[in-house]
Amino acid sequence: MNPPRILVADDDATIRRFIATLLVDRGYEIHEAPDGQQAFRMAAEMKPDLMLLDLIMPFRDGFDVLQDLKRQDTTARIPIIIMSVKNREEEIVKGFNLGAEDYVVKPFNSLELVSRIRKILERSRS
Amino acid sequence: MHTTSELLIQVLWGLGGVLTFLFLFIVVNKAMRELKERRAATLRKELEPRILEYVNGKGERLGPQLGHLGGFERSVAEEILLDNARFLKGTARSRITAACEELGLVQDRIAQLRHPRWWKRAEAAEKLASMKSPKAAPELIVLMHDEVPDVRMRAARALGQLDTRTSIKPLVEAMQDPNRWSALRIADILAGMGTDAADELVENFNTLPIKARVAAVDCLGRAKSLRAPGLLLRLLTDPDRNIRARAAHSLGLIGDPNFTPDLLKSLSDAEWPVRAMAAKALGKLARPEAVEPLARVLKDKEWWVRINAAEGLRSMGDKGLSALVGALSSEDRYARHAAVATLEGAGVVDQYVGMLASADEKEREQALSFIRKIVASERTDSLMQSAARHAQEKVREQLSRVLKPGEVKP
Repeated sequence: MNPPRILVADDDATIRRFIATLLVDRGYEIHEAPDGQQAFRMAAEMKPDLMLLDLIMPFRDGFDVLQDLKRQDTTARIPIIIMSVKNREEEIVKGFNLGAEDYVVKPFNSLELVSRIRKILERSRS
Repeated sequence: MHTTSELLIQVLWGLGGVLTFLFLFIVVNKAMRELKERRAATLRKELEPRILEYVNGKGERLGPQLGHLGGFERSVAEEILLDNARFLKGTARSRITAACEELGLVQDRIAQLRHPRWWKRAEAAEKLASMKSPKAAPELIVLMHDEVPDVRMRAARALGQLDTRTSIKPLVEAMQDPNRWSALRIADILAGMGTDAADELVENFNTLPIKARVAAVDCLGRAKSLRAPGLLLRLLTDPDRNIRARAAHSLGLIGDPNFTPDLLKSLSDAEWPVRAMAAKALGKLARPEAVEPLARVLKDKEWWVRINAAEGLRSMGDKGLSALVGALSSEDRYARHAAVATLEGAGVVDQYVGMLASADEKEREQALSFIRKIVASERTDSLMQSAARHAQEKVREQLSRVLKPGEVKP
C-alpha cells in the first residue's frame, strides 16, 4: 500500500521542514508548497490524501485556497487541517464553515498534530 | 606655483588611496559576510536533520547525536533550536529547552547578561526568553535592576516565559516602577503567567503605587484567580475612581453571576467611568435581574454609560432586546437614541423592515408599530436609507409612507 501523501502549505520553510521530518519518520510522503498559489496548484494536480494549510501566505491566503479547493468537485474531498497563529473564535469558525476538517493553532503540540492527522486519514479512508 | 601643484597631486593620491582602501574594505567585508552566511547555510543543512530528529523524540540527549561543536557550530545549532521553538509547545518544546541547557547555550547567554554593551545584554535576555530554561531565572531577576529600561523590560518578558514561581515576585516588585507603561507591560506579562502570579498580586496589592494598582486590577480580571474576586469586590468602593472602574471591568471578565448585586450598586456610582464599566460587566454576567436597572441607565447623562448599558442589554438575549424596544418609547431622548443604535447594530431594525413585505397582515402591523416607534425616537437615518435603497419595492413604499415626506433621500 502506498504511503499517505500529505501536502504541507506554509510560507515558513522552518515549519515545513519540521513537519516533513515529523511525518516522514512516521511513514508519510510529504510534499511542500511555499505559498498560496502553489498550494492550490499542487493540491489540484496531485490530490493529496490530506493537506496542512497555513492561513497567512503570499499571493493567496489560506481561506481563499480552502474555499476554491472545496468548490471544485475534484478537490472538494481532500481533508484539510488549517494551521495558523490566528486563534480568534471567528477565524476558527470561518475555517470550519469553509470546510476544514480541523484547526490547529500555532504554537502547536507535534504529537497532538500527528494524532489528528492519523485520525482524519483513518476517517477519510473508511 | 610648483609646490602648490605638487601638493595638489599628493592630496589627490592620498584621496585615491583612502577611496581604494574603503572600496577594498567594503568588498572584503561583503565577501567575508557572504562566506560566513554560506558556511552557516551548509552547517544548517548538516545539523538540522539531526536536531529535528531529536526534537521529534529520537534519543535522550542531543549532544551525542551532534558530537563536539565549535563556537560557530554552536551558534548555528542555537539558531535552529530557537527557530523551531517559535511554533512548538508540549514535549517537543521541552526537548528544545533541555537541548539548550545540555549544549551550554543557556550558560553562554547567562554570561552575556553581564556584557558591558546594553544591546548585548538585551539580546541575551531575548534568547533566554526563547530557551525557557528556569536555570536563567536568578540572573534575569538581577537584570530587572539594569540601568537601561529596555534591558529591564526584556528581562521581565523573559521571566514571564519561565514556568517558575521564583520569577513572579520580582515581576510584582517591578510594578513599583514609576513609569505607568512599564507597570502596564509587566501586568500584561503577569496576566499571561496564570493564577500563581495573580495570587502574588493579591498579596502585594496594598504595597503597589496607585498607577500600578490600576494595571494590577486589570491583570487580576484576566488571570481569573480564585483569590481575586474578594479583593476586586472590595475595590468597588475604593476612593480612587479608576480603581473602582477597573475592578468592575475585571469582575465582568471573571464572569461570576454572584457579582451581580455589587455591580448593580456600582451602576449608581457618582463617577461615570465606574457606571460605564459596571454596565459593561453586567452585560457580560447577563443576569435577568440586571435588565431593568440597565434599562434605567440608558437615561444616564454620559454617552459612554448609555452605550455600555445598551450593549449590555443586547447581550442578554430576548429579555434585553425587549427592554431596548421598550426604551424606544422613553421620554428621555438619549435613552431612545442609545436603544435605536443598539437595535440597528443587532439587526433588529432590518428584521422589522423586512417584515413590512410579509404576506401575514399581523406581522406587517407589528413591523409598522415598531418602525413608528423608531420614527418617534427622532433617529431615522437608517430607515431613510432603507426607504431609498431597499431591494423590495413594497418595503420602500411602506417606509416612505411612515417617514415624513421629503425626508427620503432619492
